Amino acid sequence: MNTLITVSLLGIAAMLSEVFRFKKFIQTVFIAAVTGATGLAVLDWGTSYSYFRFMVLFDDYALAFSILFLVLTLIWLLLSQEYFCNENTRADYFALISFSLAGAIILSSFSDLSMFFIGIEILSVSAYVLAGSNRSDIRSAEAALKYFLPGAFSTGFLLFGMALIYGATGSFNLSNISLWIIANHSNLPVMVNAGVVFLITGLLFKIAAMPFHNWAPDVYDGSPTPVTAYMSTIIKAASFAAFYRLFVSCFSIMADWWTPLLVIAAAITMIGGNITAVYQNNLKRMLAYSSIAHSGYLLLAVAAINQLSKPAMLFYLAAYSVASLGMFTLVNRMGNEQQLDKLKGFAHDNPFYAALITLLTLSMAGIPPLAGFFGKYYVFLSSIRSDLIWPVIVAVIASLIGVYYYFRIVYNMYSKPAASAHVVSLSGFDKSAILITALLTLLLGIAPALIADII
Amino acid sequence: MYSTPYDYLPMAIMAAVAFGFVAVTMAATHLLGPKRKSEVKLDTFECGIESQQNARFPFSIKYFLIAILFVLFDVEVIFMYPWAVNFKEGGLEGFIEMLVFIGILLAGYLYIIKKGALKWE
Amino acid sequence: MNLTLLLIIPLLTAVGVLFCRNAQQVRWLSLAGAAVQFILVMALLFAFYAARSNGNTDAFLFSERCMWFAPLNIQFITGADGISVSMLLLTAAVVLAGVLVSWKEETMAKEFFFLLHLLAFGAYGFFISLDVFTLFFFLEIAVIPKYLLIGIWGSGRKEYSANKLALMLMGGSALVLIGMLGMYYQSGANTFDLIRLSEVHIPYATQLQFFPLLFLGFGVFTAIFPFHTWVPDGHSAAPTAGSMFLAGISMKLGGYGCLRVATYLMPDAAAYYAPYIIGLATIAIIYGAFATLMQTDLKYINAYSSVSHCGFVLLGIGMLNQTAITGAVMQMVSHGLMTALFFAVIGMIYQRTHTRMVRQMGGLLKAMPFIMTVFFIAGLTSLGLPGFSGFVAEMTVLMGAWQNPKTMYRIATILACASIVVTAVYILRATGQVAMGPLKQHDEPLNDARWYEKLAAFILIAGIVAIGVAPFWLNDLITPGAKIIMQKIVSLSR
Repeated sequence: MNTLITVSLLGIAAMLSEVFRFKKFIQTVFIAAVTGATGLAVLDWGTSYSYFRFMVLFDDYALAFSILFLVLTLIWLLLSQEYFCNENTRADYFALISFSLAGAIILSSFSDLSMFFIGIEILSVSAYVLAGSNRSDIRSAEAALKYFLPGAFSTGFLLFGMALIYGATGSFNLSNISLWIIANHSNLPVMVNAGVVFLITGLLFKIAAMPFHNWAPDVYDGSPTPVTAYMSTIIKAASFAAFYRLFVSCFSIMADWWTPLLVIAAAITMIGGNITAVYQNNLKRMLAYSSIAHSGYLLLAVAAINQLSKPAMLFYLAAYSVASLGMFTLVNRMGNEQQLDKLKGFAHDNPFYAALITLLTLSMAGIPPLAGFFGKYYVFLSSIRSDLIWPVIVAVIASLIGVYYYFRIVYNMYSKPAASAHVVSLSGFDKSAILITALLTLLLGIAPALIADII
Repeated sequence: MYSTPYDYLPMAIMAAVAFGFVAVTMAATHLLGPKRKSEVKLDTFECGIESQQNARFPFSIKYFLIAILFVLFDVEVIFMYPWAVNFKEGGLEGFIEMLVFIGILLAGYLYIIKKGALKWE
Repeated sequence: MNLTLLLIIPLLTAVGVLFCRNAQQVRWLSLAGAAVQFILVMALLFAFYAARSNGNTDAFLFSERCMWFAPLNIQFITGADGISVSMLLLTAAVVLAGVLVSWKEETMAKEFFFLLHLLAFGAYGFFISLDVFTLFFFLEIAVIPKYLLIGIWGSGRKEYSANKLALMLMGGSALVLIGMLGMYYQSGANTFDLIRLSEVHIPYATQLQFFPLLFLGFGVFTAIFPFHTWVPDGHSAAPTAGSMFLAGISMKLGGYGCLRVATYLMPDAAAYYAPYIIGLATIAIIYGAFATLMQTDLKYINAYSSVSHCGFVLLGIGMLNQTAITGAVMQMVSHGLMTALFFAVIGMIYQRTHTRMVRQMGGLLKAMPFIMTVFFIAGLTSLGLPGFSGFVAEMTVLMGAWQNPKTMYRIATILACASIVVTAVYILRATGQVAMGPLKQHDEPLNDARWYEKLAAFILIAGIVAIGVAPFWLNDLITPGAKIIMQKIVSLSR
């Protein structure tokens, strides 16, 4: 709870820094506050308190995800240094990021449908603005609009779903809903099923799973790269945290009924996302599709819904997000045109960092001994435990397709440069971002037990 | 699950009413309304400022900003009503909570002013 | 003796290479690392003999275990039996020779040698692991360096070949992964521990379900028909040391996995699927031999002949008797040494003549007598001349195969025997064309082998001759291991 309050106050402070003229220090304040919030979350570890008349519940699940968001934000700050350069917009961006972080923390800790909705809105509205934050680029404006419209649309689905669930069970509280569903399990009104379908649809929109993914590539491509990095890591992680929390605490008893929906969505997301990524020549777009594909694997963990899914999701999200942040650091340096060809000769100029990026790429492809492998492995394990054998086979095939395009990145980095090509060069912050993400990736791969079984 | 087609009946009725209302009103206005085709009558707005062009025309963002900010603060004020009604039950705690709420709103207001969102020129 | 040392040395060498200043330091450090490793493996061999002669009859010696990832029951278990020791010997020899052959590699030398040692690390880890998970883990580690070795330092259609190889091998390991997870849950043991798994009896239905996944998965590595297509492309595009590692080490990972994991843990299913395995192996042998006849590129010749020779490995495993399995392991060792030598020689020839086309060469014996002599030795080993390892190994496989009286098995054995004639045709034709006749014109003067090339050839030839002349030591090494695998199969047929 203290974490949430700190982050919310941080957002207000960032806004007021404009008024009271301490804009210069806002980055320091931000880093201090986020670090402090992480510390507060760590201090609360092992406790489980409910606040605001059972509106939020800070248990280990919520704390673990909060820590994940905050740590990712700190890493993210390294790669987005230039994003905060402009004096005029600096405070606004920090405020928006803080608010969306607050939304993310609410999404990992809600225990009431209304809080769930508030969390999703705080998270998304900030993200809509951030997507359009590059005002001079028409593609950024396009991204904001394309993000906003489906986002608002999917919010409608979520609301309708909640209304139906409320109509059937008479409560917004997750545990009350769960108790009601258990009590009436043998004779559920169709309203509950309809509500669940609406909720699933809305959430699939939010996590950009197929067949509701169409907005994602353009949005990811058009937004400023730091924002894309933020969206495809922290926002995605928050949406999944909410997805799982909602379904495991309310609807696990009727899992047999909705699991097939998720499994089908997962299967087409994995296959479709990976196949489409193969055809991309633009690294940023490729990562956008790969991010869609990763949603598929995560959906599988949600669909498995057993004791292993929670750690599997946390681990997968951590591994994927860390590696993504490193990759987006590279994308950020590629300027406006992120063609794969531009990477040629990169390894010749920066052998060390090329090796680290290779590491990150291989982790995303799911190759041992890196974190990504254990993430996939964990997901497969939990799915097989729930007897989802064929989806695992699909997932394995999909990750093979994934290997192909991830290898293309590596291959391009190590190819000889074209005669007059401008080779990507990294700043000091970029280097530290890549170094940190690569070290984390390696560490999580060698010692997965570090975070795998904490929740 | 025991979902029979019968369970969907309320929804079907709801949908029928919703669509029916649209269809009926549209049809009714066409059929019942008197039809005068003078130039003034065909104008977009019959009264007020003369319209310049069609709606797909760039206009000053200031109008939009003022409007959206008005809506924002207007909606926030709605929260005052339930508080006012339950003022006694809320007690001191409720009062402090409301102060926090208004404080946050005030912070937003300061921010708007500082950003120059309300400056017309 | 601590088997973990075998992992630490290549890893240290690999990391050390990254900190070298120039190519000179890189290659000397690599050589030192490979040499130390070779000496360690030799020491392991003698320690193994000593332990056995002291009456230690455990299935796996030098076994150690530690928990790696407790929530998922993943342990790090090491141990070696005769089969692993012989594989380790092969790996150490090929790595040493591979480093020597790449002595003059100047472009991105650091990365090149780093990847070589990483591949070696994966292979060593694979051969000493007694936990199915870590086994898989090292298998994957051995795949990635290959992609980069081919993609960056390769020649010809390198991007295509690298992708094809990596995807097929990753596909194979993905099948292994599914089979492995299936075994974990459905065996009822909830463990990846190979020794524990070999003690429980995995239900028959589960075996039938997961054996094909594991066997085919590992089979891809050892070029099981029809998943052999990565072999010719991959080998021909790879740099010399890359081809040596691919054919000499990496194809053996598959054979070892088929034997140690698939056959050992699921003997019922192995017996059930044996006819299919033998059918595929025979096709590979015949098809590989005839396909080689059509090749004009030296690397393609050796690559297709590898498909044929690896068919003998699968044939030996499929026959499911002690002699044949011993033969299969011997064939793995023999083929590893022979094919590494072959690729090394092809690399040497290519460096000097800048061609690998048989038709564009001739009379090279006059210009470079040492290299051509080595070429002859490799060729003769390949066609199975007595005195070299190829003869011993193929002989043992065929003897084992003949013990099986079923008609289909007989036919397979006869066909496999017949393929040796085809082998003789293509080997003699290629060697004759390249070495004999008038010397063709080349741009540069042709030098004979340098000291490092001679040393590399010497190490591999020593191995080939040691097995060819005195096969008993290898046989004694492998037989107890094969016996343990056979015991499970025999105990079932009763």
